[in-house]
Amino acid sequence: MNRKKKNTLFAYAWSAPSLLLILLIVIFPILYTGYISLTNMNVYHWNDYEIIGLENYKDALFVFDNGFIKAFLVTILWTIVNMVLQLIIAFILASMLNIRKLKLRNVYKTLLIFPWAMPGYVSILLWKTGMFNSQFGLLNQWLASVGEEPVRWLNSDVMAFICCTVVNLWLALPFMITIIDGALQSIDKSYYESALLDGATWMERTRYITIPMIRAIIAPSVVITVFTTFKQFDVIYLLTQQVGSKTGADIHTIMTYAYENAFITNNYGYSSAISMIIFIILILFSMVTNMKPKEEEGRA
Amino acid sequence: MSKKVKEGIGLTFVNIFFIVICFVTLVPILYAFSVSLNANNSLLSSDFSFIPEHLTLNNYKAVFTEEPILLWLKNSLILAVVTLVLSLGTGVPAAYVFSRKKFPGRKAILRILILLYAFPSLLSMTALYKLLSPMGLINTKIGLIIVYTGTEAVFALWNMKGYFDTIPVEIEEAATIDGASSVQIVTRIVLPLAKPTIAVTAMMILIYVWNEYIFAINFMTGADTYTLAGGLYSLQATEMSGSWPIFAAASIVVSIPILIVFFALQKNMTTGLTSGGVKG
Amino acid sequence: MKKICSLLMICCLLAGMLCGCGSTDSGGSQAEDGTTTITIWHDKEDAIIAVLEERLKVLAPEINIVFEKKSDLTEALKMVGNDPKAAPDMYFFAHDKIGVYAEMDILAPITDIIPKEELDQYMDSTIAAATYKDEIYQLPIYYETLLFMYNRLYMDDSEVPETTEELYAYMEENTKGGHYGFVEQHSTPYYAAGWINGFGGYILNEDGVPGLDDAKTIAAVEYHKKFVALMPGETEYATVNTLFSEGMAHSTIAGPWMIPTVRAQGMDVGVAPMPVIDETGTPIAPYMGVQGIQVLKFAAENKKDAVEQVLRVLMEPEVGVELAQASGCAPANEACYELDEIKSDEVVMAMKETAESAVPMPNIPEMDVMWTVAGNFLTDVNMSGKDVAESAADAQKEAEKLIESMQ
Repeated sequence: MNRKKKNTLFAYAWSAPSLLLILLIVIFPILYTGYISLTNMNVYHWNDYEIIGLENYKDALFVFDNGFIKAFLVTILWTIVNMVLQLIIAFILASMLNIRKLKLRNVYKTLLIFPWAMPGYVSILLWKTGMFNSQFGLLNQWLASVGEEPVRWLNSDVMAFICCTVVNLWLALPFMITIIDGALQSIDKSYYESALLDGATWMERTRYITIPMIRAIIAPSVVITVFTTFKQFDVIYLLTQQVGSKTGADIHTIMTYAYENAFITNNYGYSSAISMIIFIILILFSMVTNMKPKEEEGRA
Repeated sequence: MSKKVKEGIGLTFVNIFFIVICFVTLVPILYAFSVSLNANNSLLSSDFSFIPEHLTLNNYKAVFTEEPILLWLKNSLILAVVTLVLSLGTGVPAAYVFSRKKFPGRKAILRILILLYAFPSLLSMTALYKLLSPMGLINTKIGLIIVYTGTEAVFALWNMKGYFDTIPVEIEEAATIDGASSVQIVTRIVLPLAKPTIAVTAMMILIYVWNEYIFAINFMTGADTYTLAGGLYSLQATEMSGSWPIFAAASIVVSIPILIVFFALQKNMTTGLTSGGVKG
Repeated sequence: MKKICSLLMICCLLAGMLCGCGSTDSGGSQAEDGTTTITIWHDKEDAIIAVLEERLKVLAPEINIVFEKKSDLTEALKMVGNDPKAAPDMYFFAHDKIGVYAEMDILAPITDIIPKEELDQYMDSTIAAATYKDEIYQLPIYYETLLFMYNRLYMDDSEVPETTEELYAYMEENTKGGHYGFVEQHSTPYYAAGWINGFGGYILNEDGVPGLDDAKTIAAVEYHKKFVALMPGETEYATVNTLFSEGMAHSTIAGPWMIPTVRAQGMDVGVAPMPVIDETGTPIAPYMGVQGIQVLKFAAENKKDAVEQVLRVLMEPEVGVELAQASGCAPANEACYELDEIKSDEVVMAMKETAESAVPMPNIPEMDVMWTVAGNFLTDVNMSGKDVAESAADAQKEAEKLIESMQ
């Protein structure tokens, strides 16, 4: 009994600094947003705001109209497409990087994760003006050099969606490759040796050894990436929706939609209510899809 | 013999594959690189080639002489190193107990932590400002470090915990019988075995701090407190001024230190359990 | 237990070390030796700030002036505006945000510091722009409007279109082979506003009512479409200005800040009055932006003398002249236009002429949402090919909804 108590105390003491930081930096803003969502804090009541109850939530429901539903569906499609591609591509590349006799592995790895070494806005800017620009972009210059007509890459919905996906993959793959590569390192090579002796094919080894072994390790990162993909704002906003440089594509995810329909009003109470609702929707969504890191399975 | 040849051919193909993939990945960066070497003042040059016609290093010279980039570099370095130390210092013990100890609230905390990522953080800036300002932490590096460490703490905890779970408990139990303390177990047994995950986590934190600019420009006022990413953001062609080649050159310069770290960390990421000879 | 204690101690130690290396530098406070520091945030090019810095150094040597360039100035001000520890004492920015900050109660009226009579020396339109709810919140320094510019290499002075139909004819003739007769940021509200205003329409009126479905606004957008058809698909700054500065577009409507850049590249650039819209007989009437100094409330209360001194230095006509020479700014001070240096400045005088028909950007808070809504409307019409009247009605509804939810 006493030992158990001591054990608990020990666990809390060791995790306290980390949990405290999370409380301050991650949880506090959520609570604060929750509080602001109950007030009328806006430009006209910046310092003298007061609690007005659930008014903002009532107003916020108007935002969740047809446009929002469309944006929500686009977001789901966006998340699925991006996650599937990300996982498949990252897994293949990471597996190939782990081919034992590959000498230049570290060079390739470093080059592949280069996109990660640049701030996101720089990369997006490079893509937008350097690659996709219809007048000067590299893609159209290449098309022109083989005698094709220039394409307006970001102008139509489908094309813009594909372009955004490419950029998002470009930005996100380095992380995924690193995580999967790290997880692959944790697999005891003796499993493969015995599997090889049994004559298992690469597919079989992947299916019965690799995937089950790395699943638990990469699960948290995958869940985190699902959330960040869901909430992705920069890529779509900066590529297609930025004020002053809109491209004509009408793709909105819930975040860009919420931004254009609430955040620009400078009504913090109202925007906070919308943030909270999106937060709750996401949590419910993750519960419905039973998306939780399966930590138990990992414990061999 | 024939098996070796087959393997050789296979490897050649793999190498070619990777060279192509790397090139494709690097196209936008090569583009920026080429622009940065171009003597003409335009990112949007109409006839582009990877090797510019008028080669110049002036843009790089300008980056180092006209912009306080070394100062920004120093700021970024301080922030990155301290955040890294703090994150690992708080993250490793937390990840360890969450992996090894059973205590009330453990599962609940783990679940909740990951759900926190669902929060759209467009507004958390204001909240963090309200938190830091009364403590006098606005305009200080400590304020920024706390924000960075806190933001990365969930990832650090979960990522390292996941890896710790794969390290067999038996080794530690043996050590406990030998009379080793918890600190000794972590530093002497767990950490060496967990090198890959620590390398990955460290890299992640480093990149985050290196590339983060929103907090950096909002919580730090004044050009002498800018970080590299924040400074670069301010360099970014504001409508009226702004030179694209200099911006491109600065982008390249900013990413070089991170690339070096990437490369250095690669070694650590590949020596994991394989070298320890540990079997489950 | 011992271990826990030692762990805690390590944490404390680490925290202590951190405190040591963090620098504490609060923006703008009284230093020990009695000099006052005035911090001014801005988003301007270096040439302009250099002029102001130099003048202030000579004329107000006892005040320590710190200019800080802020990339996200408007957002940052919302956050720190009423926190004296982090906020600036003044900021140098366009007038269109004063409504927001006045409502947030972080600005002091300029008349708290400078008596109203003394502001008579400024052009009426600039003072009107600086006025929100009967209070003047900005000390105008210079103003800017978009200008019609042309590249003399392609467009002869005699070819410069006087009306929009002439412009259209020129575009039809010269837009080919990668060249454009005329380019502008056609779907960006700030640029398209010139056409809308010229037709007598409006994006937002003084009462905060959006006018996107106003018949005149619709007529303007409808008319503008045929011009857009002869322009590139992109509406953003980089594309449009690169086309002009690289000599692939013969003429453009752009801000005066373009001129030093293209001149530096060796272009013989001409500036002409805005073309007259044939249907209405009025020239394209762009928005006018007045750039000037706003004083934050606590600075006005606590550092009144220093603030007054700084403002008085900036009120002198010479500042206007130097700014005009440094960066082609059109001074807001009427007295400047008596001076030969200004009278002989082609760009400044062109801006003054354009300013006569220009419309000051609305400075009320409602404008914040209009940039996005109007941008969406223009994009829908010009780039997605949607019906003008229908899009206008939708956009109007959207704008009204957003303005309502600001409250």
